[in-house]
Amino acid sequence: METVKSIGIDAGSTTLKIVGVNEEGKILFSIVEDADPKVEEQTEHILNKLKENYDMESSKIVATGYGSNLIKADKKVTEITCHAKGIYEYFKTGGTAVDIGGQDNKVILISKNGKVIDFIMNDKCASGTGRFLENTAWRLKIPMEKMAELALNSDGEVKISSTCAVFAESEVISHLSRGQKLEHVIKGLHRAMVKRITSMIYTVGFNPPLMLSGGVAKNKAVVKMLEEELGEKPRIPENPQIMGAFGAALIGLSQ
Amino acid sequence: MGVKDKIKYIFSYKIAGKLLIEYNTKKTFKNFKPPKNWRTDILAPSLRTGVYTKEIIAKHYLEGRYVSGVKPVAWVTSGAPIEILKALGFYILYPENHGALCGARKVALEISEEAEKKGYSIDICSYARTDIGATLSKKTPVGKLPKPDLLLCCTNICQTVLYWYRVLAEYYKVPLIVIDTPFVYDEAKEHDIEYVKKQLEASIEVSEKVAGKSLSFSKLKEVVRLSKMAAELWLEIMNANKNKPAPISVFDQFIHMAPIVEKRGDPETVDFYSKMLDEINERIKNGIGAIKNERKRVLWDNLPIWYKIRFLSEFLAENGVSVIASTYTNAWGELAPMMDIERPIESMAKTYVYPILNRGTGHKLKTMETMVKEFDLDGAILHSDRSCKPYSVGQMDQRLKLLNELGVAALLLEADHNDPRAFADEQIKSRLKAFMEMMD
Amino acid sequence: MLHVKIPTRKEVIEEEKSKGKRIAAVYPIHYPRELFRVFNIQPVEVWGPPKTDTKKANAHLQSYICSVVQSGLSFYLEGYLDIVDLIVVPHSCDSLQGLGSIFKDFIKPKQELVTIYLPREKNKENVEFLANELKRIYKQLSQLCGFEPDDEKLMEEIKTEEKIDKLVFKFYKSRENLPLSSREFYTILRSREYLPPDKFKSILEYALLHASKGKLKKTGIVLSGLLPEPMDILDVIDDMDAFVAIDDMACCMRRVYGEGHSSDPFERIAERIVNGPPDPTKGNSFDERFEFIKSLADLTSAKGVIFYNVKFCEPEYFYHPILKEKLSKAQIRSLIIENDINEPLPQQTITRIKAFIEMIRESS
Repeated sequence: METVKSIGIDAGSTTLKIVGVNEEGKILFSIVEDADPKVEEQTEHILNKLKENYDMESSKIVATGYGSNLIKADKKVTEITCHAKGIYEYFKTGGTAVDIGGQDNKVILISKNGKVIDFIMNDKCASGTGRFLENTAWRLKIPMEKMAELALNSDGEVKISSTCAVFAESEVISHLSRGQKLEHVIKGLHRAMVKRITSMIYTVGFNPPLMLSGGVAKNKAVVKMLEEELGEKPRIPENPQIMGAFGAALIGLSQ
Repeated sequence: MGVKDKIKYIFSYKIAGKLLIEYNTKKTFKNFKPPKNWRTDILAPSLRTGVYTKEIIAKHYLEGRYVSGVKPVAWVTSGAPIEILKALGFYILYPENHGALCGARKVALEISEEAEKKGYSIDICSYARTDIGATLSKKTPVGKLPKPDLLLCCTNICQTVLYWYRVLAEYYKVPLIVIDTPFVYDEAKEHDIEYVKKQLEASIEVSEKVAGKSLSFSKLKEVVRLSKMAAELWLEIMNANKNKPAPISVFDQFIHMAPIVEKRGDPETVDFYSKMLDEINERIKNGIGAIKNERKRVLWDNLPIWYKIRFLSEFLAENGVSVIASTYTNAWGELAPMMDIERPIESMAKTYVYPILNRGTGHKLKTMETMVKEFDLDGAILHSDRSCKPYSVGQMDQRLKLLNELGVAALLLEADHNDPRAFADEQIKSRLKAFMEMMD
Repeated sequence: MLHVKIPTRKEVIEEEKSKGKRIAAVYPIHYPRELFRVFNIQPVEVWGPPKTDTKKANAHLQSYICSVVQSGLSFYLEGYLDIVDLIVVPHSCDSLQGLGSIFKDFIKPKQELVTIYLPREKNKENVEFLANELKRIYKQLSQLCGFEPDDEKLMEEIKTEEKIDKLVFKFYKSRENLPLSSREFYTILRSREYLPPDKFKSILEYALLHASKGKLKKTGIVLSGLLPEPMDILDVIDDMDAFVAIDDMACCMRRVYGEGHSSDPFERIAERIVNGPPDPTKGNSFDERFEFIKSLADLTSAKGVIFYNVKFCEPEYFYHPILKEKLSKAQIRSLIIENDINEPLPQQTITRIKAFIEMIRESS
C-alpha cells in the first residue's frame, strides 16, 4: 500500500477535484467528479473509498475552491496560490498561468522561482468564462464537445459584440434567425470569449510561456484561438482540471 | 520649428494634400451623386454641401499628420474655450471628435480594448477609452495623430474629462490647463463667472509660453467674431427644421456638426455653413424633407450612437419617423448670442459656464419642452448613454414629464455612444417599434 | 476588544433634535462641518447606507449609477430622512451632481436643499472661489436659521475641527498599538460622520487610553476607495491574520484636513479642504495621490494596497492603472477590486483578497 503524504481538494463551483501525492510530490491518484451540493459528504465518501487502496493515516489535507469552507482540512489556501503552485511544479517554469473555469477566469503571473507576482480574476459577471459558451450550448441544444468542433471546422466567423453572457445569447439567436451559418456564429462566440481572456492576460502583462488549466483548456477551439491572439502556443497539462488540487496537495507537503 | 518639418508640412499638406482634396471635392460636387447604398427610396438625397464636410475634416486630419514641429498642437475637450488658442495659432485636436470618428468607422471597440488591456475599466466613458487606447497603441483610422504640446480641459461637459486629461498629461508629459466651470443648478453666481474668468486669464500665460508668442487681442476678437458667426449659422440651419417637412435630419446634423466643433473660429467654417444654409433653404423652397414620408417628428436627446447612425436613421425613416431636433447638436449653436466680440474674455467666461451639460436637469427638460412646441414634435428618444452620466442622469424624470405633461411619446433607449457592446440590434428595434406604436 | 458604546445615527438625531438643533443629511464627500455647526446644525452623513433596497431610486437613476448614489436616493425616498431639516449635496462627481439636480428640479424635498461646488485643482483661485461659495452657503443658512453668527464663533468651530483632525491622525498612528479589530477601528472612526465633536472626541480619547506598547504582528494593508462597505471586507482581511493598517478612503483619511492659515474663517475652511489629502473628486494629480499613498504605507509598514472601488465610480477608476504602475515601481503590490455596497461580498472578492494577502506575505 502506497503512502499518501498529502491530499489536495479543489471544491470548485461545478466540479470536485481530489489529488493525492507521495513524498516526492508524485501524483498517486486524481479524481474529478461533478460537485454535489453536499460537497463535504461527497469528499468524505471519496476519501473513505480511497483508504481501501492507500495508506492515508498521516496525510495532510489542503482544501481550496468555493466549497473549501465546508471541508475538513489542515489548511485552506486560495485557488490562485494553488493553481500557481500546481502549474509551476508541473511545467517547472514561471510564466503566465490561465485558468478558465466554469464561472471564474484567473490569470496568474508566476515568477522564475514559482511565486505569484500578480493575478487577475474576472468580475462577478460571467463574460469570458466557461458559462459564456455553456449558456449558448444549452440554448441551442448542442453538446459542449460539439461546440468546439463546430468552431474549429468553421470556414467563416461572425462578429459577436456582446461580452455579457446573457446578451451574447440573444445576439447569437438573432444572427441565426438572420440566416448566418451556425458554425460561423459559434466560432464568433468562441472568439469573443478568447478576446476577453486575452485582454485579461494583457492587463496583468503577458509573460510567456502561456500555461493553461481548468476545464475549458480541453476546448481545442479556445486553445487554437488563444494561440492566434497571443502568438504563443499554450502549454496544456495532461489533465488540466486537476492543477488546483495538485497545487494544494503540494502545499500540504511543505506543512 | 524644424526646417525639415516645415518643408514636409508645406509640401505634403499645403501643396499636394490640400490641392488634391480640394480638387476631389470640386469634382464630386460638380458631378454630385449620393453615396453608394444611399436609401433614396426613404431618404432625401444626401446634402450636396456634405462633400465640404468631408473636405474640411480630411484637411484637418491631413494637416494633423504633418503639423508637429510647425505649429503648436493642443488637444482640447469639446466644450473648451479654444478662442485663445486659435488666436495664438495652435493646431487644435478634439479627442472626442476623433473618438466619434473611430466610432462611426467602427474601430472604436478595437482601439478602446487597447486601453482596457492596460487596466482602464470598461465602465469608463467610451470616448476616454478610445482616446487613451489610441494614445497607448497609436492606432487611428486617420493615419497619425499629432502629439500635443498643450492640453486644455474644461469641465463644463463633465468631470470625466478632468481625469482623462490627467491621464494624457501623464503619458505626454505636457502642460495641462484645467478650466473648472462650476455647475449651474439654476443661475450662475457672480463668483462662478469670476472664477472662470480668472482661470481663462491665467491660461493665457501658459498658452503663450507653449506657443512662443503673445496673444493679440485684435486676433482674439476676430476669432470670437468668426466663432459666433458660424454658431449662428449652425443655429439657423437647425431651426430650419421648424418647417414641414423638416429639411435636415438630426442624423445628418451629427455628421455635419464636425466643423462647428472642430473648426470653430475659422473663416472657412463660416463659408461652409452659409453654403449649407443655402442648400437647406432650397430644400424648404422645393418642399424636400430629410425623409421621404415624414409621418412623425421626433427629438433626440444625448450623444449620438456613432456606430449605429445609419442603422437608426434608416430604420426610423422606413417607418416614417423623422428625427429633427436634438439637444446635442443644439448645444453648439444655442450659446452664440452670449458671445460678445467687444468683451471676449468676460463673455467667454459666461458662455462656457452655460452649456446645457453644465446646467440642471430641469433646464434640459425645459429645452426639450421648447423644442417639442417649436418644432411640433410627436415624440422624444432619450438615449440613455452609459458612458455619459451628466447627460443621462435626470432622463428618467425628464421622460416622465414629457410623457405626462406634454403628452408626447418618450422612449429611454439604453446604449452607449461609442461602445457597440452596449447595443443589441434586435432589442433596440423592438423598443423603437413599441415607441412608434405609442405615437400612432 | 474595547467596550465603547457608540450611539447610533438615529439616537444622535433624536438627542440633538431634542436640544433644539437642526439636522442636515449630508451626501458624500467634502463639506464644511464647521459652517453647519456654527448655525447649530448637526450634520449626519449619508453614505448609502449599505444594504439598502434601491428599487425606489431605480425610477430616477439608471443602472450605471453607483450604489452609493442609488442607495442615498432610495434612503430619502423611503422616508428615512423625513426627520432632517436640510439636505446637503456636495458636487463630488457627475452622479452626485445629477442627484443634487434631480432633488432640486424633480423630487423637490420639503427640506432646505444646499449644494456645494467643490473646485478642482489646487491653487489660490480655487481657495478664493471656495471661500466665496462658502459665503453663499452662509447666507443661505442664515436665512434659514434667522441669525448671523460672527467670524469669531465660526473660527472657534474651525479650531475645534482642526483639533479633532489632529486627534484622528494620532488615532491612526496608534493603530498598531490598539487592541481593535479592523471593524472596531472603523466603527469608531466613522462615528465622526454623525457625532457632535465633543462626543466623538471623548470616544477617541477613551480608545487611545488602551494603546499598548506591543505592536500587532499582522500583515498590514492600505485600503483605498470610497468606504469600507459592506464591512465584511474588514473581517475577510482580519481573518487572514492581516489588518487595515491605514486607509486612503473618502469617508476617512481623505477628510483628515490639515490646519488652515488664513485669519478669515471662510478662506481658512477653503484652505483646509483644497489643500487636504489628495482625492480623485478634487482632481489631484497622479503624483500627489501616489506620494500620499506611499507615505501611508511607509508610515505603517503596510505591505500592500487594496483599491476597493464602488462599481461605476469613474473618478476612482481613472487613477488605478497609473497608480498601480507607480506603486509597483516602488515595490508596493496592489489589488483592484470592485464592489457594490448593497450586495454581500461575492465569493470571488473574498478569494481575491485572500490570494492577495497570501501573495504579499509569501514575497515579503
